[in-house]
Formats: sequence, structure tokens, C-alpha cells
Amino acid sequence: METTDISFYSMAVGLLLMLVPFYYLWKLKTGLVQATVLATLRMCVQLFLIGIYLRYLFVWDNAWLNSFWVILMVFVASHTAVSRTGLRRRMLFVPILIGFLVTAFLVGFYFLGLVLGLENIFSARYFVPIMGILLGNMLSVNVVALSTYYNELQREQQMYYYLLGNGATRFEATMPFLRSAVVKAFSPCIANMAVLGIVSLPGTMIGQILGGSAPDTAIKYQLMIVVITVVASMLSLMITVNLSGRKAFDEYGRLKHVFRHQKSRYNSLELF
Amino acid sequence: MIRLEHVSIEFGRRKIVSDFNLAVGKGQLVCLMGESGCGKTSVLRALLGFVPVSSGRIWMGGDELSLHTVHHIRQITAYVPQELALPSEWVSEMVRLPFELKANQHIRFEEEKLFQYWDMLGLSRDLYQSKVCRISGGQRQRIMLAAAAMLDKDILLIDEPTSALDSDSSGRVFRFFSLLKEQGKTILAVTHDRKFASGCDRTVNM
Repeated sequence: METTDISFYSMAVGLLLMLVPFYYLWKLKTGLVQATVLATLRMCVQLFLIGIYLRYLFVWDNAWLNSFWVILMVFVASHTAVSRTGLRRRMLFVPILIGFLVTAFLVGFYFLGLVLGLENIFSARYFVPIMGILLGNMLSVNVVALSTYYNELQREQQMYYYLLGNGATRFEATMPFLRSAVVKAFSPCIANMAVLGIVSLPGTMIGQILGGSAPDTAIKYQLMIVVITVVASMLSLMITVNLSGRKAFDEYGRLKHVFRHQKSRYNSLELF
Repeated sequence: MIRLEHVSIEFGRRKIVSDFNLAVGKGQLVCLMGESGCGKTSVLRALLGFVPVSSGRIWMGGDELSLHTVHHIRQITAYVPQELALPSEWVSEMVRLPFELKANQHIRFEEEKLFQYWDMLGLSRDLYQSKVCRISGGQRQRIMLAAAAMLDKDILLIDEPTSALDSDSSGRVFRFFSLLKEQGKTILAVTHDRKFASGCDRTVNM
């Protein structure tokens, strides 16, 4: 079964639909029109460039090149995560990089090697898209969870120090904050899982069906993709929180200033 | 039990506390007084290693505060900060929170003992089944004081124990502290309440 291609003319017709959100963003004076136009243009240019690059990546199908590409993706994802959380780059970049890298390879190889049983797990057709899906999910979960975790820690310092001052270890004292971050980041994932196939037909499955796969194969892939993205998101978050904690707290368990807009090293008088 | 020698605390370039000395013996009730922003709370927090001292030395329960002793010091101390908001939904959960920590798991939580303390502090037993959002700031303050006493630690560090209380309730808190003192507990409290301070063994003006 052949997938119907979309011509450039048809693409332009499709993109015309964006006029609807542009109109409402302008009408409601959201100040987001310029950003949305730019984002749309960036998306088009980036995806076309990636399309060209992926075409060659698939033709060459070189393990080293594919790995290099994935490592580059990890770097970009880490950089984006740091920017979006507003946390200090020096504190978060390396932990998030390690968290993403270790998790993507660990969970990715498990799926490609053990579940799919591929002979060549670096095959561009599988390796690059799977890593991309993992990284995309890890990125969104980590941004929400890390922002929540450190924001709440800054805001509710009294509680953190209360627990610490009554004998808690740093792990115990940060537990309520981690719990809250995990709940906030994973609630949408869990809600989505619960309605998958009834309310929402997810991207992987639709992509495969449009690409000519049998629906039952597409469903199996979708199921596995959901499983590995949840696992990767959780694992990467735990690694990131653990590693970033070494820089966010000093040896006495004192919380340092973790956000870029904060100037001095420790929290000042107004917080005490 | 508590000793500070030539302690100075700085935040950036601003010196908050300069060359401060204090000694509190076992079974004493001492309060720190002074204008807002003079560093009373910072001193209390420095005792637990929450605020870095720029110079000076601190001893708690015989140990000098350092990286090696700080966790032990926090284990022998009960600490109640001002205006504490805990994530619990129910009062019964809130009072149990410090007992769930590994360091305090050997201490038995006895509801009857808690209610005895609540009676002394003028709190009704019905509060135990109340939602935290339904209780007043003064009730919360006294509930946490009772929970701190239940932990049976040698040292109690309390920040503004009577800030949200009327004079009758303040008197109850003072009598409660006197009882703890008789049990050999060492209490250092930060307060603005002159009446409360006048009853303490010693008042240190900062």
C-alpha cells in the first residue's frame, strides 16, 4: 500500500489553516502572533532540512553517523530543557545531559535489541525515530517536573527546613517536593494512557497505518512506544533530580539559588 | 547544651549578626529578642546549619557544628519554624509527619500523650480529625509545638511560638514550656512577645 504524497502546493493549502489561530491570537491581543508565525516558519524549515538529512542518513545507514546524530539530539534536548525550566545552566545542563543520554541508550537498546530483536540496533530506520520519540517525551516530562520541583522547593523552604531540622535526611526532606513534581508531570501521561484508542489515536499508530502497516502491527508498536516513553521519562527524571541535587544543595543540605534570575549563592533574609 | 562563640552571619555584603555569643545550659528556657531583621531567626537557623556563619563556632548538645556532626545535631533537636505550612490535608497526618522520618521512627507516637499536651495548650481533641485548612494559625502553631514536644528531643528551637496567639494562649504556651524545662529540655525561642520573654530564664537582646 502506497502512502499518498503531499505536494508543495497542497502543503501551502494546508498551512493556510494556520490563519485561524493567527487571527484569534491577534484579536485577543495575546502578543503571541509574531512568536507563532516565527515558530511555524522555523518548524517548516527545520523539518524540511531534517527530511533531507534523514534521507541521506537512511541511505548511508552508518552506525557511527546514526549514533552521532542521536548524541546531537540529546545535546539539543538538554539545552532546550535547561532554557525552558529557567534553572541555572551550570547546575542542570550536565545532569540532564547524563540523564537523557543514559536513559535513551538504555531503554532504546532494550526495546530495539530485546523487544524488536533487531540484528542491527543502529539501523537508522529504527534507531533514530525511537530515540527521537524517547527524547521528546523525556524533554517534556523533565521540564514540567524539574520546574515544579525546584519552584516548590524555593517557595516552601519552611517545610523543607522543618523536616531537615527534625532529623530528616536530604532525601526525606525533598520527598514531598519530588512527589508533587512526579504527580504533575505524569498525570497527563497516565490520563492519556487510559483513553488511548478510544478518545485519542496516537501519532505512532496513525503514522504506521498511513505508511501502510497492518493495524494490529501498528497497535503493537504504539503499545510498546507508550511503555518505553513512560519508563524513559521516569528514569531520566530520577537521574536528573539526583544529579542536579548535588549542585542545588550544599553539604549542609542548604538550598542554593537555582534559578537564573536569582543573584547570590544562598537564599537571603526575606526567605528566613 | 547550646553555645555560640563570636558568631557572625553575613548575606552577601550585609552583616546581619556580628560577634554574637550565647550559652544555654541544660534545662534552661532562653529567648532571643530584638527588632525585625536583626538576625534572631538567622541565629536559630545557624544552630542547625541552615545559615552559613562567616566566622565563629557553634556547639549543640556537646558537638561542634560541622559537616560531620550536623545530621546528628538535627537528630537531637526539635525545630518549629514560624508560619509553617505542611502538605498534609488532615491534622492527624500533619502531627505524624516528623514521626515518619527514619531518624524518629524509634519514637512511639501516642495519641493520648498528644491529647494531654493539647489540653495543656488549650486545644480541643476534635481538632485531630479536622482538615488543616480549617484550623487557625494559632491552633496550627500550638499543634506543631505539641508535636515537637512529643519527639522528646533534648533541644527545642522554636521561632515565634506565640506570634499568632492571644495572651491567654501565650500563657498556656509558657506554662507548657516550663513543664518541658522541668523534664530537662533545653529551649531556645525567638520572640517579640515581651510578656512571654519576661518569664524565661534569660532574655538575650540582639
